[in-house]
Amino acid sequence: MELYEMSANELSLMLREKKCSSEEITRSVLDRIKSTDDKVGAYLTVCEENALSKAREVDAKFAKGEQLSPLAGIPIGIKDNISTKGVLTTCASKMLYNYVPPFDAFVIGRINAADMVITGKLNMDEFAMGSSTENSHFKKTHNPHDLDRVPGGSSGGSAAAVAAGSAVVTLGSDTGGSIRMPASYCGTVGLKPTYGAVSRYGLVAFASSLDQIGPLARNVTDAAMLFGTICGHDSMDATSADREYPDFAGKLNSDVKGLRIGVPKEYFGEGVDDSVKQAVMNTVRELEKKGAEIVDISLPSTKYALNAYYIISSAEASSNLARFDGVKYGYRTENYDSLIDMYEKTRSEGFGDEVKRRIMLGTFVLSSGFFDAYYKKAKLVAMKIVEEFNEAFGRCDIIATPATPGTAFRLGENMGDPTKMYAADICTVTVNIAGLPAVSVPCGKVNGLPAGLQFIGKKFDEQTLLNAAFAVEKLYGEARPVNV
Amino acid sequence: MEYETIVGLEVHAELNTKTKIYCSCRNAFGLEVNTQICPICTGMPGTLPTLNEKVVEYAVKMGHATNCSINNVCKQDRKNYFYPDLPKAYQISQADIPLCEHGYVDVMLDGGVEKRIGITRIHIEEDAGKMLHNDAFQGSLVDFNRCGVPLIEIVSEPDMRSSAEAKAYLETLKSILQYIDISDCKMQEGSIRCDVNVSVRPKGSTEFGKRVEMKNVNSFSGAMRAIDYESRRQIEALERGEEIFQETRRWDDLKGENFLLRSKEDAQDYRYFPEPDLTTIYIPLEKVEELKKTIPELPNAKVKRYVKELGIPQTDAELIAENLQRCGLFDECVSIGGVSPKTVSNWILADVSKYMNETGKDISGSNLTAEKLVKIIKLIEDGKISNNSGKIIFDEIMKNNADIDAVISEKGLSQISDDSAIEKIVNEVLAANEKSVSDYRGGKTNALGFLVGQCMKASRGQANPAKCKELVLKYLNG
Amino acid sequence: MNIDVQHLAKLARLRIEDEKLSKFEKDMESIVSMVEQLPDVTGDASGLDPEHPMKLREDVPAEDKLSRAELLANAPKMQAGCVVVPKTVE
Repeated sequence: MELYEMSANELSLMLREKKCSSEEITRSVLDRIKSTDDKVGAYLTVCEENALSKAREVDAKFAKGEQLSPLAGIPIGIKDNISTKGVLTTCASKMLYNYVPPFDAFVIGRINAADMVITGKLNMDEFAMGSSTENSHFKKTHNPHDLDRVPGGSSGGSAAAVAAGSAVVTLGSDTGGSIRMPASYCGTVGLKPTYGAVSRYGLVAFASSLDQIGPLARNVTDAAMLFGTICGHDSMDATSADREYPDFAGKLNSDVKGLRIGVPKEYFGEGVDDSVKQAVMNTVRELEKKGAEIVDISLPSTKYALNAYYIISSAEASSNLARFDGVKYGYRTENYDSLIDMYEKTRSEGFGDEVKRRIMLGTFVLSSGFFDAYYKKAKLVAMKIVEEFNEAFGRCDIIATPATPGTAFRLGENMGDPTKMYAADICTVTVNIAGLPAVSVPCGKVNGLPAGLQFIGKKFDEQTLLNAAFAVEKLYGEARPVNV
Repeated sequence: MEYETIVGLEVHAELNTKTKIYCSCRNAFGLEVNTQICPICTGMPGTLPTLNEKVVEYAVKMGHATNCSINNVCKQDRKNYFYPDLPKAYQISQADIPLCEHGYVDVMLDGGVEKRIGITRIHIEEDAGKMLHNDAFQGSLVDFNRCGVPLIEIVSEPDMRSSAEAKAYLETLKSILQYIDISDCKMQEGSIRCDVNVSVRPKGSTEFGKRVEMKNVNSFSGAMRAIDYESRRQIEALERGEEIFQETRRWDDLKGENFLLRSKEDAQDYRYFPEPDLTTIYIPLEKVEELKKTIPELPNAKVKRYVKELGIPQTDAELIAENLQRCGLFDECVSIGGVSPKTVSNWILADVSKYMNETGKDISGSNLTAEKLVKIIKLIEDGKISNNSGKIIFDEIMKNNADIDAVISEKGLSQISDDSAIEKIVNEVLAANEKSVSDYRGGKTNALGFLVGQCMKASRGQANPAKCKELVLKYLNG
Repeated sequence: MNIDVQHLAKLARLRIEDEKLSKFEKDMESIVSMVEQLPDVTGDASGLDPEHPMKLREDVPAEDKLSRAELLANAPKMQAGCVVVPKTVE
């Protein structure tokens, strides 16, 4: 097996046993990027020099016998909406085509402190708005399982890189499913942490009350290791939770005896492919055989979740993206004759159509006369959704649902109709609205394409989620890079 | 027809915290452009605000000082608009739940009449940067140093009826801000600014007219001019049978006119919504009470006490109380005691104020202490030195931090007030000037001045002139 | 519902080209008619949560600061240490 095919957990062990060096691992991954990325298109920026020099630095530390973090020397790819000091951070937008942040995101500080090796920045839907990564200004990313299909979005580059082996692990961000959905489409593990578990400082905001950074990996252990590295309190983020976290990877346990798994009927209704429902339910029944208890639950407000989500996320986005005005950074139009002219041309030329639609929707729901009927109502629906989850968690420990209503669709298939594209988020948005943690884990294949099972957990109970995902992984085996 | 002018004010005061409201940049004025900035206050992608605890405390203090109720559970909201000096393209402010509301201040109008002006609300928000314009240059320049400087906005009820009342209100707010030490109140640095709302109505009417908001009012006297202008403009329009529209106008203090900025139809839609990057502000009630205890005696209460208990004339009392340095010195002198408060007040309003104005220095940064001032006044009141000598000593203290007793002996300022010593001098002078004595007795009363002058000269200026005059007269008339 | 795309674009400082207008109008109408399907709920949506208040920052200046050059390195146009925009007075 090549080094790029190994998991972070395996590589970590090999580094300590001096079976390989970080430089060798890094070169293997960089070579894999070179051999696959013209087909997959996961990367926007490859940091070859930086990566190799960091790898050599880590190797020197190992040689000196320093005690390093479990992920030291392991290559990682970063979604391009996470600020990296001195490295382009474009959010896959023309608006930020030349933007180089002068500071690192909190999570990048953690990644650097853990001596991980950053191989580059990954493609995404522009400003994380989309479900297919087709909204990138720069290029389309292809699903390594079927290059004619989308990898999902918005963290499509993060999922595709992991699936193709052009990254060992990656960071994505999830506002309405942007980690879990591409993880599901690409047959990888993706964790959306509890809101507040990972600092958002340095994550270019899409919807501040919903955004969370999380790990994508080919197995649960790697995801747990990476999550343990990036979680924790940050005084720079007022929404960051001040609490202690367990050693998630160390405590992984696939024993599901007595685990009460809630199955909400609303997630198995219309709009979800029967074959996906079946794959998920088959998996849940396997867990039942291993001692888990299945509990039928109901989350009746789920049917409003998508609408509330699009109102709240677009409202926040319309405000968060107002700062891209051509004044301080990024793109500025060539010719203009006044301030307003400069603003309008810059923003019209700099943003893609999907971003414009969301900005206009957000502007609409906040505008005078419509606020109460849209934004306020959506907030009330969100509160109702939280209540229903609380109630459900009185009767179960975790909730199992499909991660996506179908498997990866074809490139271009949903581009003409925004609402059809939005419907792809139907299984994932409630989790962001309620600020809960959720994981997407592969549960076999449907028509030759990966299907994902989503576990939703109680706030800050990522351990239970990861344990359940670990149990599912035992059923189907760990993912390895697919042939491209 | 007679009209009544209705005025409401929105005052923005910059708080004198050490750091900005949402980041740890220094809150400092007048430094080189774009040097007091960081990724947060320049709105770089991915940055997040963190609220400065002192800003909350200062705003609560202002709420207490203006008799507001404190919303100890509240939040912040975003006010969205595009302008180059607002890097995030939204201002973090407070919308439906301000930190403080439903308060009032009592202001003193001319003639000692007191009037209560309602405070609708006080909320916290961030200042914007500065645009620099230069005719020699094609574009405008943006300096972000002021971005994120903490502000409180104090919104009044439409309770004022003239520019004079508005000025009295502004002066009162300013002295409160200084008393509780939360703002430097430097007008020339723009640390207090106000928007002015003016409407007019026929006298006796109880309904309000259409309100016009004026922006760009940069001084208290400018506020008066702007109100007078706008009130006149509206009355003239009504007299011509025209309608007043709700609109925003820009005051040009140089031209002494205002101009339409935007009509109601063009009113900006700020699309307020709760700031998702910040969560609930919660101030425990004990903390709210603790902050209340830090509020000192406020200017109005001081004026009343000075007039009623210390017999200071109203205008003098107001002048003393309006300045924290002056009233601090005054209160200290009075508490040391042994001198007339009126005399202390006279000294502070004359010599001390003159010194402060001329040097631009504060009392606290000078050599003057209450003890020294009381000592000078006491020496004068006891006749030990002359009033003039007192001023000489004062100057020596301010310039050279001189010791009072040393100045008196070095400059020979001590005054002869001993009756027998002066009597001896008087006798000698009268004996040597028999002609003047007979002149006086013959009706030439101006000989008195000459004789007293001769006595002063004989004492080399050290005799108490009042005493001299008294004894000379006693002899002449005796 | 009829969505005034041009008005929204103006508020958001966007400019929608004429040839794209009808597509945007159609899209916005279908998006709005999707999201407006919400139940009739009323109540306090302020989201205040005094049980979990925000921790406030101490008023202490930061020592390690980035330079002006580093902070404004991304600005499209600079002059005299300032960011340049088209001439504007409000």
